[in-house]
Amino acid sequence: MKQFLYIIGLTLVFSSCQKVIDVDLNEANPVHVIEANYSAEDSTVNVRITITSSYFDNNPSPEVNNAVIEIVDASGVAIPVPFISNGNYMLTSYAPQFNTEYTINVNIDGNTYTATCVMSDPVQLDSITYQYFDGFFGSGGGYTPLLNYSDPAGESNYYQVILSRNDTTFNTLDDFFTQDDQLTDGNYVQRPLFLKNFYQLNDSVHMEMRTIDKRIYDYIDQAQSISGSQNSAAPGNPTNNWNNGALGYFSAYSSSHQSVIIQ
Amino acid sequence: MRITLFLFVLISFTSFGQKFTISGSVKDSLNGEDLFGATIKVKELSNVGALTNSYGFYSLTLDSGNYTLIIRSTGYDPKEIPVTLDQDMSINVELNIPQDVQEIEEVKVTAVKENDNITSSEMNVTKFDPKSIETIPVIFGEKDIMKTMQLTPGVKSAGEGNAGFYVRGGGTDQNLILLDEAPVYNASHLLGFFSVFNSDAVKDVSLYKSGIPAQYGGRASSVMDVKMRDGNMKKFDVSGGIGLISSRLTLEAPIVKDKGSFIISGRRSYADLFLKLAPNEDQRNTKLFFYDLNAKANYRLGEKDRIFLSGYFGRDKFGFSNIFGFNWGNSTATFRWNHIINQKLFSNTSVIYSNFDYEFNIGSGDEGFGIKSSIEDWNIKQDFSYFLNNSNNLKFGFQGIYHTFRPGALNGSNESFNEVVLDPRYALEVSAYIQNEMKLGARWNINYGLRYAGFDLIGKGNAYEFDTDGNVTDTLTYDRFESIKYQGGFEPRLSMSFVLTENNSIKLGYNRNYQFLHQLSNSTTSSPTDVWIPSSNNVKPQIADQIAMGYYQNVKSNTYSISTEVYYKFLQNQIDYKNGAQTILNDLVEGELVYGTGKAYGVELQIQKKKGKLTGWISYTLSRSLRNFDAINNGKTFSARQDRIHDIAIVLMYKLNEHISLSSSWVYYTGDAVTFPSGKYEVNGVYIPYYTERNGYRFPNYHRLDLGLTWYMKDSKKFEHSLNFSIYNAYSRANAFSITFQENEETGNTEAVKTTLFKIIPSITYNFNLK
Repeated sequence: MKQFLYIIGLTLVFSSCQKVIDVDLNEANPVHVIEANYSAEDSTVNVRITITSSYFDNNPSPEVNNAVIEIVDASGVAIPVPFISNGNYMLTSYAPQFNTEYTINVNIDGNTYTATCVMSDPVQLDSITYQYFDGFFGSGGGYTPLLNYSDPAGESNYYQVILSRNDTTFNTLDDFFTQDDQLTDGNYVQRPLFLKNFYQLNDSVHMEMRTIDKRIYDYIDQAQSISGSQNSAAPGNPTNNWNNGALGYFSAYSSSHQSVIIQ
Repeated sequence: MRITLFLFVLISFTSFGQKFTISGSVKDSLNGEDLFGATIKVKELSNVGALTNSYGFYSLTLDSGNYTLIIRSTGYDPKEIPVTLDQDMSINVELNIPQDVQEIEEVKVTAVKENDNITSSEMNVTKFDPKSIETIPVIFGEKDIMKTMQLTPGVKSAGEGNAGFYVRGGGTDQNLILLDEAPVYNASHLLGFFSVFNSDAVKDVSLYKSGIPAQYGGRASSVMDVKMRDGNMKKFDVSGGIGLISSRLTLEAPIVKDKGSFIISGRRSYADLFLKLAPNEDQRNTKLFFYDLNAKANYRLGEKDRIFLSGYFGRDKFGFSNIFGFNWGNSTATFRWNHIINQKLFSNTSVIYSNFDYEFNIGSGDEGFGIKSSIEDWNIKQDFSYFLNNSNNLKFGFQGIYHTFRPGALNGSNESFNEVVLDPRYALEVSAYIQNEMKLGARWNINYGLRYAGFDLIGKGNAYEFDTDGNVTDTLTYDRFESIKYQGGFEPRLSMSFVLTENNSIKLGYNRNYQFLHQLSNSTTSSPTDVWIPSSNNVKPQIADQIAMGYYQNVKSNTYSISTEVYYKFLQNQIDYKNGAQTILNDLVEGELVYGTGKAYGVELQIQKKKGKLTGWISYTLSRSLRNFDAINNGKTFSARQDRIHDIAIVLMYKLNEHISLSSSWVYYTGDAVTFPSGKYEVNGVYIPYYTERNGYRFPNYHRLDLGLTWYMKDSKKFEHSLNFSIYNAYSRANAFSITFQENEETGNTEAVKTTLFKIIPSITYNFNLK
């Protein structure tokens, strides 16, 4: 009887259901998508250029292999970023100058796209701690790592955090954590980072904390809000730092790492 | 302005003979409730009469002589009273409910008098009392006056199970919802599945869609005026109901018989109590419930004075174990003093308090933190009605509201967070109005008025100036009560009817409304966290201008009434977000807003059957609601979310016999406008949608059938009870609550996923009344 009443209660409260449906969508004109990352730690610039495709097209995005790319530092020195393969371009051994602005120029078939980004000073990731949580609705519990760092006072800082479990790195858009210091400026910050699944005993945790530009922080937030099963009433394309209507972003960032094994 | 003054001069003073005034009140003989809108007619004189105001008071001035007064109110036996008028006199009337049960349980959706819909100047005001809707099927069997309103033309539900509603293409925040004059900021419970109005405590509800009388102001689209019952003046009475989701109990009794009474009505949902039976501790610790309490007392201090005290307190609580908690609620209190200054001049003074707040809690102990936000109003209102003569009824008054907005505070023991308290903001909203309900000959009824509304955002606090990118360019600091920005304007109002014959009429309405408070909403359902912000140096007041025209016809001796209305509405200073705006705990939220205009127009048709065993109505609305923002959709006009082109409702009630009534309602509407992607692209290994236009797509069309059966088991004079069975979504239509575009986790393919909230839901409710 108890079980029966419980089931009735739950049915009434959560009787929703989901179904995959066909939707007739318009075809947008193709647009260039430029993802450019400059990692201070690796002294490497990575650029990937693709083109938008129709929403229900399940082929990989078309890649752009004929772009001419250069990165320009604050003093105006331009270095080309050479093509590697399959829409990817890479420049290595490009030493960073912190707190200066970098510009990337991309020329594709005569169209030029430009973006700028400031390379921020790294902020030290202090340590990883972890905490046990009960599962939701009968699912098993487990451990969640906590980010610990000391936020520099008196300046706005923006962070992007990437977790790894054993050999798996959660480095896709949906798994990024973002953190600003609007509410935590100058504090010692501790924050649990929840992945879809908990960590278990003896798992190794690796954490990379990137210090990023505000526009990249906003971009990740907005892109996450329209990706996955997120549901925004008035969705729009995330605001980015490319001119001339290109999609994607250009991020220059510095990193700091820690690892721990859950025991 | 000049035209309005001219109209005031038009007030027609009739003959100068020896005249006397009859005044008094009209009440229900059983429970002593005031009857609002009862008619007092003079048998010997055609076209002379009066209506009771919302406190049951009337005044009628006649030449000396012998007359017979006929007093009528829908659902009551009419009464005739012979009068010899040679001096001013006071006549209080009590009307009886007829013994024949058949009569009272008939639906009385509109009429005060059978053809009142034809002769009154009120433009399509929709009136309901809870009795008239008790058989209409609704979700979870909980009769809900706001849901029933959404079945009438021009009023649209904001979505599945959502208590919010759109009136004539306006937003959900553009409806002024008043509970005993107190504004209610969030009229929904359980994330919108119930409205905050407990039908047991409600006397009646009027919804004004156009030609809004000058006594109301503050919102751009409509006014929903909910009046609470006064409580039984004659004897103790208990009534209540037990349902699957919630139960209700109402107590009412005289304080002193025929002098004062009180009513207390409470309600609580208990879906979460089932969770207490769950095997898992987290499930047992899950909370999901609401409760509310309505209370009202009134007392007659003498022949001329009466006081009322009414209050509402409601709260929703929602929580998962110790991880997450969320609660919100409204509280209102209204103190009113009715004073009859003389036989022609009636005064009401109100002091009103209203508060809405919400609170989030995340985590507990050292890790926990919470966010709080609230809006609080103190309100003083003075209204006069002056029964100038039988052709002119003047109303005038003024109002002052002191608003306190507390947009957010963050606190807790989590050391990572600084305590953050956003600056509270203060504002003074003032208004004054004058209006006249004028009868001009036998055919014209004209209600014209003028309202002035002003809004002063005041210190103490900071005001910010922004550049076009939303960055602060200047910060100005103001002292307590120092004016930051004053904005205001005149609102002309007009509502007139021309009676062609006693069975048909034409009506015309115009209104301008200012709205100084704006709700920023960015989710599919109305959420308690939708922020209210005041007009300021950056945010201009919303202004709505609406013109409406209607043709009304009653056929087969008022058995059927047919109405056709057309309207055009123009909205200025509409507000939307920039992409990715941060709305919670953001002092600079005004920098994240963009402004535009809107227009809405449409035709509304309704055929209603008001008498007989089968009653009900069919309503159809053909309408558009469009917006234009420079910063959205590349400046091109786009559909508002509520731009439903076709909207149909069919409501039928059939009285099988004395014990059983059957009912059904069927709704159909064009799917809401929505933004879908027109492409996709890859960012960090994930496909995200590529959007090309705002609201360029549509949800699938919505339709749903609900069925109800009420079984009246009438045992005795002392005890009545009934069982209500209802089926929500009887043919289990999978209507879309949302459609999300996402990558399938297994195949990696992109797909569209539709979420349906409710398929078929049967429910049962037991109602009783112990007299």
